[in-house]
Amino acid sequence: MDYHSLNAMLNLYGERGEIQFDKDREAAREFFLQHVNQNTVFFHSLRERLDYLIEKEYYEKELIESYSFEFITKLNDLAYSKKFRFQSFLGAFKYYTSYTLKTFDGNRYLERFEDRVVMTSLGLAAGNEALATNLVEEILAGRFQPATPTFLNSGKAQRGELVSCFLLRIEDNMESISRGINSSLQLSKRGGGVALLLSNIRESGAPIKQIENQSSGIIPVMKLLEDSFSYANQLGARQGAGAVYLQAHHPDIMRFLDTKRENADEKIRIKTLSLGVVVPDITFELAKNDEWMYLFSPYDVERVYGTPFADISVTEKYREMVDNPAIKKTKIKAREFFQTLAEIQFESGYPYIMFEDTVNAANPIKGRINMSNLCSEILQVNTPTTYNEDLSYNQIGKDISCNLGSMNIALSMDSPDFGLTVETAIRGLSSVSDQSHIASVRSIEDGNDKSHAIGLGQMNLHGYLARERIFYGSEEGIDFTNIYFYTVLFHAIRASNRIAIERGIAFEGFADSTYASGTFFDKYTGQEWVPATDKVRGLFETSGVHIPTQADWDQLKASVMEHGIYNQNLQAVPPTGSISYINNSTSSIHPIASKIEIRKEGKLGRVYYPAPFMTNDNLEYYQDAYEIGYEKVIDTYAAATQHVDQGLSLTLFFKDTATTRDINRAQIYAWKKGIKTIYYIRLRQMALEGTEVDGCVSCML
Amino acid sequence: MTEKLKLVSHVDAINWNKIEDEKDVEVWNRLVNNFWLPEKIPLSNDIQSWNTLTPAEQKLTMRVFTGLTLLDTIQGTVGAVSLIPDAITPHEEAVYTNIAFMESVHAKSYSSIFSTLSNTKDIDEAFRWSTENVNLQKKAEIVMNYYRGDDPLKRKVASTLLESFLFYSGFYLPMYWSSHAKLTNTADLIRLIIRDEAVHGYYIGYKFQKGLEKETQERRDELKDYTYSLLYELYDNEAEYTQDLYDEVGLTEDVKKFLHYNANKALMNLGYEAIFPKDITDVNPAILSALSPNSDENHDFFSGSGSSYVIGKAVVTEDEDWDF
Repeated sequence: MDYHSLNAMLNLYGERGEIQFDKDREAAREFFLQHVNQNTVFFHSLRERLDYLIEKEYYEKELIESYSFEFITKLNDLAYSKKFRFQSFLGAFKYYTSYTLKTFDGNRYLERFEDRVVMTSLGLAAGNEALATNLVEEILAGRFQPATPTFLNSGKAQRGELVSCFLLRIEDNMESISRGINSSLQLSKRGGGVALLLSNIRESGAPIKQIENQSSGIIPVMKLLEDSFSYANQLGARQGAGAVYLQAHHPDIMRFLDTKRENADEKIRIKTLSLGVVVPDITFELAKNDEWMYLFSPYDVERVYGTPFADISVTEKYREMVDNPAIKKTKIKAREFFQTLAEIQFESGYPYIMFEDTVNAANPIKGRINMSNLCSEILQVNTPTTYNEDLSYNQIGKDISCNLGSMNIALSMDSPDFGLTVETAIRGLSSVSDQSHIASVRSIEDGNDKSHAIGLGQMNLHGYLARERIFYGSEEGIDFTNIYFYTVLFHAIRASNRIAIERGIAFEGFADSTYASGTFFDKYTGQEWVPATDKVRGLFETSGVHIPTQADWDQLKASVMEHGIYNQNLQAVPPTGSISYINNSTSSIHPIASKIEIRKEGKLGRVYYPAPFMTNDNLEYYQDAYEIGYEKVIDTYAAATQHVDQGLSLTLFFKDTATTRDINRAQIYAWKKGIKTIYYIRLRQMALEGTEVDGCVSCML
Repeated sequence: MTEKLKLVSHVDAINWNKIEDEKDVEVWNRLVNNFWLPEKIPLSNDIQSWNTLTPAEQKLTMRVFTGLTLLDTIQGTVGAVSLIPDAITPHEEAVYTNIAFMESVHAKSYSSIFSTLSNTKDIDEAFRWSTENVNLQKKAEIVMNYYRGDDPLKRKVASTLLESFLFYSGFYLPMYWSSHAKLTNTADLIRLIIRDEAVHGYYIGYKFQKGLEKETQERRDELKDYTYSLLYELYDNEAEYTQDLYDEVGLTEDVKKFLHYNANKALMNLGYEAIFPKDITDVNPAILSALSPNSDENHDFFSGSGSSYVIGKAVVTEDEDWDF
């Protein structure tokens, strides 16, 4: 039987009503026998292999030559001594389809998983043998997994950038809009998703050169961006993808949402561009009182306050702007706005939501956060760029890029040295920042040079909890999440502090941050953080992972205040699609979508993925996200959020029996609990009774 | 068609507050929630993938879809409409009008696929093939005859066999492509169609069984015989049609198993027992798993729009929801 069929048997119960896990392992085996082994180029020795790959311009010569051949041999032997095996068919299939180095004609494989890990480690360590060795240990053991662009591109001579993700401001002028489109093309070409801020652009009907009713608003800009992203992709490896963010109080907000309506006209329909809405606290207050919600012309606001609309706090200035006759405004019912939001989410999964005031209150860095990114986990400050008449830069502002990588929670808890695992990850991610120079978008290049921002993520929370026989979202589950993220934060700051000490450099603007003033640490030095349940205390004791004490924090605080930290931002928890499959993890810190997940991607087709560590004996711990419900998901995320400086991609899952009111209630609950952003809304509709396929695992509730 | 179109002779204002058969409401709601238009699927993302198909595979795909277009056109303009005069409840009539409309949406969807992936010359060639292919025309002819006939229950049988059986020789192909990572957005669209057809076939079959309850034993026996003989007639034709289409790419045996599986499913929808034994209905698991009309794919948003979103029920929030 071919491997696709074997893999699909995961989704069909066996004769005794059991899930056929063995079929998936057989599928993985057959995939190697029938396909991979026959199509992998064989080399007699490492020397021969490297010489060939360098000569044919597959590998970067300079990189290989920055290490001695002896060391590379040693590293190679270390990698192969680990006897790595893919745990699922999808893991292997995804790796060979999307990551491994192939011959230029695309027909034969030039790398095995171990080779990719070695090249990634050599690339990130940039000549540092100790770091390269640590990276091989961590990545191959599965404790740390760099994000797709890094793992895909590292060490290859023909490649895109290592960075995952970019965020660009657009200001209210044609120079900035066209630069935004240009930059989107450039950044898509190099890989990674791009998010753009539309809040500053004047609304449709706003004046141009003081003549009324001239502007056509943000929709045409969205159309231009959508087409730009479809055009550019990273050597076909990743589809160009983009997102746009808009302030809820922008006058075009309802038009913006309607672009995702099922019956939207072709001229305004937005198919592939992702949408995000920035919601301030005031909007919730207005909805609570069932009041009108005023929308303000960004054109007028900028004239009145002298700053772009996105850079003022709508919550703070709301009443003032309502009373100012110089600002043109329209109004909608606040509750209708939220209901429309939920309707569109039902129909399309969009928009993402960023809770603006929550995000800014938790921001340790000076400045304002007014947007997020394609996966809603990046939250950093930015500043505008201005242009001269000839389109050259007048003042280069600061835009955002972010280098991501995620730890596998289960395997990291098994780590012989948890602190070293985190430190290696932080150093690896910092290298990506150091090695990234995107000259085509100067605001990104400058921003990166100044901030060295990174985003350490986490995945496999549900897998870990289930393995330890804890229910997702239970008291123990939330307790673990809290203490785990608390511990990670300590080690992440310590690692960044160590880098700052070694290099004598802190990120630009450190002096104005709450790290420098020390107030950031108040919540850790002023109170004790310990597990609340015996179960979680036991887990940390058995694993030997030390939970930082107040004394540890006092010491770290002193060192940070003296030497600074290297990275402006440290943590961000991405949704981890692809990398969680090759790493055999559950995605991010979400619950599983299904016991047997049906994964559909352009490059994979339809494939089936069993939840990690699941057997026919522990199925009860693998409740899916739709069964678990939004409260437990939000509670879990809230426990993690308090220890994460940026955001966490939080998808909410609903059955199709939910109504827009249920979605609104979830949004209110999330906002109340201090959640920073909401990513997709996913819906599951089960087949009408009588029309389903018999004996299929994903059809059973 | 020259015969006069039969219309319902008397119409009362439909009262959705007085429901005679709960199934009507359940199905109506499901169909309304599942409303979609082909424009929502980013089919153009499949162009690269389309170019990796061999000319024979492209030709096969075009032909399969023109075949489906013909069936959907019949079902939209004649089939579902012909069921209206015999509806037992006014709400059933309303459901048929919805079915008829969605069938037209389906028929149009194939054209969206063609215009995105192919060119006018090949499209015209495929439509020409559809008018000349003996088996396809015969299939259309058989079904059309029953729609024109005067037995309302036989019309329902023909309609159910069309919705639950005849479509599937065509549906096989996009499912096959998608399990091999080809044309995945097209497959998203076809899955939306399957999602609809599964409900249509189930509902019409259900209404057939309702109608059957009022009939004499003699008449029931007649209808059962009729159903099986019609199925055999269609099956023989379908087997030839399948060979004609799929021989060239070597998938015929597998598609036939799929036909058996769906023939059984159609019979079950009509309340009859399956005829094809287990050993010839063991469909390729990759196809069977993909067939589930559940919308539970965890799709990657960046490469497609998925097939799981539905139109939600809007309910206003109350003061208690805003308690903070």
